[in-house]
Amino acid sequence: MNKSGTDIQFAICGSAGDGTIASGDIMKRAAAAMGFHVIAFDVYPPEIRGFGKCISRIRISSEQAYSLKEQSDVFVSLNDGHAIPHVGEVRDYGAVIYDDHLIAPVAEGGHISAHIRPAQIPYGLPIRQISEQATNAARSRNIVVLGYVAGLLDLPAEAFRKVIAQKFASKPAVVTESNIRAFDAGLEAGRGVFRYDDVAVGAAPTAADGEAVMMTGNGAIVRGFLEGGIQSYFGYPITPATSIMERLAVELPKAGGRFLQTEDEIAAISATIGAGFAGSRAATATSGPGLALMTEMMGLGVMAEVPAVVVCSQRGGPSTGLPTKTEQSDLNLAVHGGSGDAPRIVIAPTNVEGCYRCAGMAFEIAEKYQVPVVLLIDLYLSNRYETVFPSDKNVFAPKPREVPKVKEGEDYKRFVLTEDGISPRALPGDAGMMYTATGLEHNELGKPSDVLHMEMNAKRHHKLKSAVNYPGLTTSKRFGDMGKVDVGILGWGSTFGEILETMFEAQAEGISCSAMKVVMLSPLPEGELRAFFDDCKVVLVPELNYQGQFANLVSGAIGRPVVRLNRTIATPMPVAEILSEVRRLAAEVNEPVAAAAGGV
Amino acid sequence: MNERVQPVYLEDKLEEIREDGHLKYRSKSLPTWCPGCGYFSMADALTVALNRLGLDNKDVVVVSGIGCASRFPFFVNTYGFHTLHGRVLPVATGVKIGNDALTVIAVGGDGDAFAIGAGHLPHAARRNVDMTYLVFDNGIYGLTKGQTSPTSALGFKTSSTPYQNGDMPVNPLLMLLSYEATWVGQAYAGRPHHLADMITQAIEHKGFSFLRILSPCVTFDKTNNTYVNLGMKVRDLPEGHDRSDRLAAMARAMEEDHPALGVYFEEQRQTLGEVMQDAIDKAQGMNLAPKGV
Ligand SMILES: Cc1ncc(C[n+]2csc(CCOP(=O)(O)OP(=O)(O)O)c2C)c(N)n1
Ligand code: SF4
Ligand SMILES: [Mg+2]
Repeated sequence: MNKSGTDIQFAICGSAGDGTIASGDIMKRAAAAMGFHVIAFDVYPPEIRGFGKCISRIRISSEQAYSLKEQSDVFVSLNDGHAIPHVGEVRDYGAVIYDDHLIAPVAEGGHISAHIRPAQIPYGLPIRQISEQATNAARSRNIVVLGYVAGLLDLPAEAFRKVIAQKFASKPAVVTESNIRAFDAGLEAGRGVFRYDDVAVGAAPTAADGEAVMMTGNGAIVRGFLEGGIQSYFGYPITPATSIMERLAVELPKAGGRFLQTEDEIAAISATIGAGFAGSRAATATSGPGLALMTEMMGLGVMAEVPAVVVCSQRGGPSTGLPTKTEQSDLNLAVHGGSGDAPRIVIAPTNVEGCYRCAGMAFEIAEKYQVPVVLLIDLYLSNRYETVFPSDKNVFAPKPREVPKVKEGEDYKRFVLTEDGISPRALPGDAGMMYTATGLEHNELGKPSDVLHMEMNAKRHHKLKSAVNYPGLTTSKRFGDMGKVDVGILGWGSTFGEILETMFEAQAEGISCSAMKVVMLSPLPEGELRAFFDDCKVVLVPELNYQGQFANLVSGAIGRPVVRLNRTIATPMPVAEILSEVRRLAAEVNEPVAAAAGGV
Repeated sequence: MNERVQPVYLEDKLEEIREDGHLKYRSKSLPTWCPGCGYFSMADALTVALNRLGLDNKDVVVVSGIGCASRFPFFVNTYGFHTLHGRVLPVATGVKIGNDALTVIAVGGDGDAFAIGAGHLPHAARRNVDMTYLVFDNGIYGLTKGQTSPTSALGFKTSSTPYQNGDMPVNPLLMLLSYEATWVGQAYAGRPHHLADMITQAIEHKGFSFLRILSPCVTFDKTNNTYVNLGMKVRDLPEGHDRSDRLAAMARAMEEDHPALGVYFEEQRQTLGEVMQDAIDKAQGMNLAPKGV
């Protein structure tokens, strides 16, 4: 992708306390302000304190990119001990920027310059000295290098100065001033250096698609919730969902909403269901372990037909698992978790923009279908930054509610069997429609009875069918070569970024290839899936779990064979691995039949 | 002494009950409890209390857990939510937060409250959610047919403690007093008029009110919490009991051999709704920025 135009990945590595993440943050915001598309993902040390390794990686492109690149173009070391193992990820003719005036002697091999490959281009500069000269302190090394990169690559310095001023706006003015001095000193140093043509940034796209906003997946969920009219939120802290809760703790009261940190996830989902029953747009967010605790109450939501929105940001499992590493292994739980036949809606956006849109629509969908809606994301999506172009504010605003009507002298049938399975819902406070919702099987009035169990099961399943065509929601989408192709790559969630990048690479190699993302995991868009399988000689399903949970879901639903690519490697799926599988499959499907037949 | 006792005619009595107005809080469904179960008193007392308070049926939500006691919402003509075993308090909290104008009454048994749902008790109490929690305490699991409960007496033989119960029973009043509940009271199914008074006061209290109602399970407990035994044991809280004194209330709560009926403790404190409104008000003034990602 992005073979033409700008597509550059910047990485900075240091130890906690060096300002690595802050530096990356300024870089990505400045790039967004310049009008570039940005994808960024930070890696923090697992410990809260200490001097663990931090890396910030930022991909800056003139066209929409879908994942980080495996190789960075520009790499900055603020701490050689941490950075040395990562020098290898810089591409040939990529720049490695480091401090060449160390104040203490280092052991042999302890300096990064000894690890730079001949094909990589070293840029040594006295980072610490420049910082000290500019600000009387070594603290601003992270800002000096930003100036240096801006100078080297000829980036508009004003964009950086603005972001720096914003970042330190709450501090005394001298802080901003000294950081600007550090930036300018770095800029000066970078401008004087000879730049190889290969290390370059092109122009930003001239026609930007509107005002870009930098968000993480979690931030996008919150923004979508707020625009979708969220009224109450209940949560319990758990990585990687916590920042949804912390952000809403600040933002929800501003919007007149009610926020509560509950005693556990069971209470969080219970209160969400209670508030939903009372007519409030209510949500909760958790990760796999919390979702496991929530399943019984979600079943009540299904049975009593109560809307609720539940975010699950997956991390490595089972059990406490890998709390700070990404994985896609809670699909089974999200789609099937709980007792009995409990159909619910599960939506899995594939990028940050998708998090925003799906969250914006989640309440409306939950209310329309009177069912819990799970937004299934993962750590990689929760924490990564992307530029998003938010819609006009009114898009997700709640529409006025229709109060059900009952004829004089007739009882209100809360669960009346209708053609589309949706029964008009009264809310407490509505006159003349008192009913009791229950997790027991019930009749149309809501009274406990097992006579209609089959019909009610059918209703609860049938009513969700139309959700796959929900207006304004992309529930599945095909990319790449249309019509018959050799290899189809089918994916979901954050991994779809890597899948798309793979598809572009494969196409560039001349492989006939198409990719399809499935955003709605329950109910599945079966028609679209069948059509995709019809068109592909072979379908590959890469996903970050051991069992092939999505592959199993799809092949179980439509009865077609799939080729699985399952990885549980605590990182996103490498494009190289998907690509080599695509190459293998492309060769296989084109092999002469005779060779494949073998001796009978 | 030839004064004749005036006969009471059923027809007149029915007329009186009808005119009283509390029947409009009864649902069309007849209670499915065993004949003689103490819970019938609760159904009657709640309708009397709602009538006295003049609450509109549509503005009341009765939320319950699972158990014989939790069948309750089906028998009152208000909105109801029969939820999951042990989850009545967080669901009821959500209902109240979802619509602050509603009068929320939570109902459940002793297993629901003190076993599976015990983790939620301190939090509903300390947050002072403005609702009323009625615990029907029969010291046994009724719905699952007679197993031991956290309030079963030592030595009590049940289907799950066939040799005898050796687990020390919890003291519900002491628990709630230490959890900072702002209204704690006790009533008995065998004293329906007092019970109706207590429910009325509990609903009137602004904040979290906890009413334990002692009740016999006539089907699965023939020896322990029977009408005879409970009737002999219960007494009133003494006249001079100071309901603003938490320590005095705790001392009374510890007199378990003769459970006293009445209001043990009462205080006014900011409710969860008020705390949330406070956050909303504060948030308008200051432009707080979220931290982190
Ligand atoms: C998660 C779960 N576990 C167990 C049960 C079975 N169950 C239903 S009611 C009950 C106990 C009821 O006892 P109590 O709360 O004292 O109410 P009572 O029937 O005595 O009024 C149990 C164990 C259930 N419904 N759900
Ligand atoms: S089993 Fe016991 S508690 Fe349940 S209805 Fe019968 S008497 Fe009442
Ligand atoms: Mg009981």
